[in-house]
Amino acid sequence: MADVETKKIQEQAEETVESPDVHFEPIVKLEEVEIKTNEEDEESVFKMRAKLFRFDKDANEWKERGTGDVKLLKHKESGKTRLLMRRDKTHKICANHYVTDDMKLSPNVGSDRSWVWNAAADISDGQPEHQLLAIRFANSENAGLFKTAFESARESNTKLTGKPASEEKPAEGEEESEDESEEESEKEEPKKEEPKKEE
Amino acid sequence: MADANVPTFKLVLVGDGGTGKTTFVKRHLSGEFEKKYIATVGVEVHPLEFFTSGGRIIFNTWDTAGQEKFGGLRDGYYIQGQCGIIMFDVTSRITYKNVPNWHRDLVRVCENIPIVLCGNKVDIKERKVKAKSITFHRKKNLQYYDISAKSNYNFEKPFLWLARKLSGNPNLEFVAPPALQPPEVEIDAGLMQQYSNELAAAAAQPLPEEDDDL
Repeated sequence: MADVETKKIQEQAEETVESPDVHFEPIVKLEEVEIKTNEEDEESVFKMRAKLFRFDKDANEWKERGTGDVKLLKHKESGKTRLLMRRDKTHKICANHYVTDDMKLSPNVGSDRSWVWNAAADISDGQPEHQLLAIRFANSENAGLFKTAFESARESNTKLTGKPASEEKPAEGEEESEDESEEESEKEEPKKEEPKKEE
Repeated sequence: MADANVPTFKLVLVGDGGTGKTTFVKRHLSGEFEKKYIATVGVEVHPLEFFTSGGRIIFNTWDTAGQEKFGGLRDGYYIQGQCGIIMFDVTSRITYKNVPNWHRDLVRVCENIPIVLCGNKVDIKERKVKAKSITFHRKKNLQYYDISAKSNYNFEKPFLWLARKLSGNPNLEFVAPPALQPPEVEIDAGLMQQYSNELAAAAAQPLPEEDDDL
């Protein structure tokens, strides 16, 4: 009977035989405590479900790092925006770093819904660590929305700090010849925000 | 991590070889999903940390060798175990048939500890051990969960149930741990160049598995 067959397949995520409710003598007392998320003073400017990966250099492969909501959080006082991602269910942190000037999202080979980038100081494991990260979204549209939000966060952060390199010397001429001559197309515009004080 | 004042429990993780014990632990440790099978030799102990509504706790997880030939000395692994997980593979009947043996060995050393029975790999279509035929837990007062280390289905449930039993607090939940503000670092140009070279190489490696449900 076809109906029975389909029914069976649907039951794959089957209801299990109920577990008995047994009492064990507790061995520890866990008092309700208030745990701060440290997101209290931040505004979520972007939030979307995604899967995060990090590159394992020794194995030369991408490894899953977590599935959950990736968020861009803008601090209400400092104005700085960070990227924070927690895993579903356990809420553990799998990415936590500022969106900085040097971060550029590049596509991952053969995928139109993923990006890769460099995080020089990610502290999701406690200590600041360099990570090569990749993120995948449900579709390319979502990936595009993330890119837009990420780049505007980067711009906004860059404005806050001022370009670290050009801060010291009053930029003499727009040359910047030596590095990144290759594919640095996006950030070609002169930095008009600089209140450069030429006399 | 091993702060003296963080409640820490010894958790003994047992079950036949290849049922996914190590993969399950790694999933919780780093988020990765390990597809390669490398049999665990002896035991590997990993502190798995969770944030609950009752504060931070640690399960010191003894991930034991499931394969007979890599076993031995098991009583030593069980001693002072405060909770347990017995794992089998729902696509392999023999691994369920062996559950009573693992249970017997465990409770011989650890009497009356909370134990969760986990049927792993429920993401696989060709399930062999049907949920309705899993009844061992009823006889032995275990908690049972269908889980999948691959899809993350119920993957947090065993730890949550154990935490509730160990604390006697049935309302305990996992909560978001504090996300500290990241540091602002200056990276010198040389290092940055190295990083971007690494990134270019990494970008040429495809991401694993496209069949996720995002």
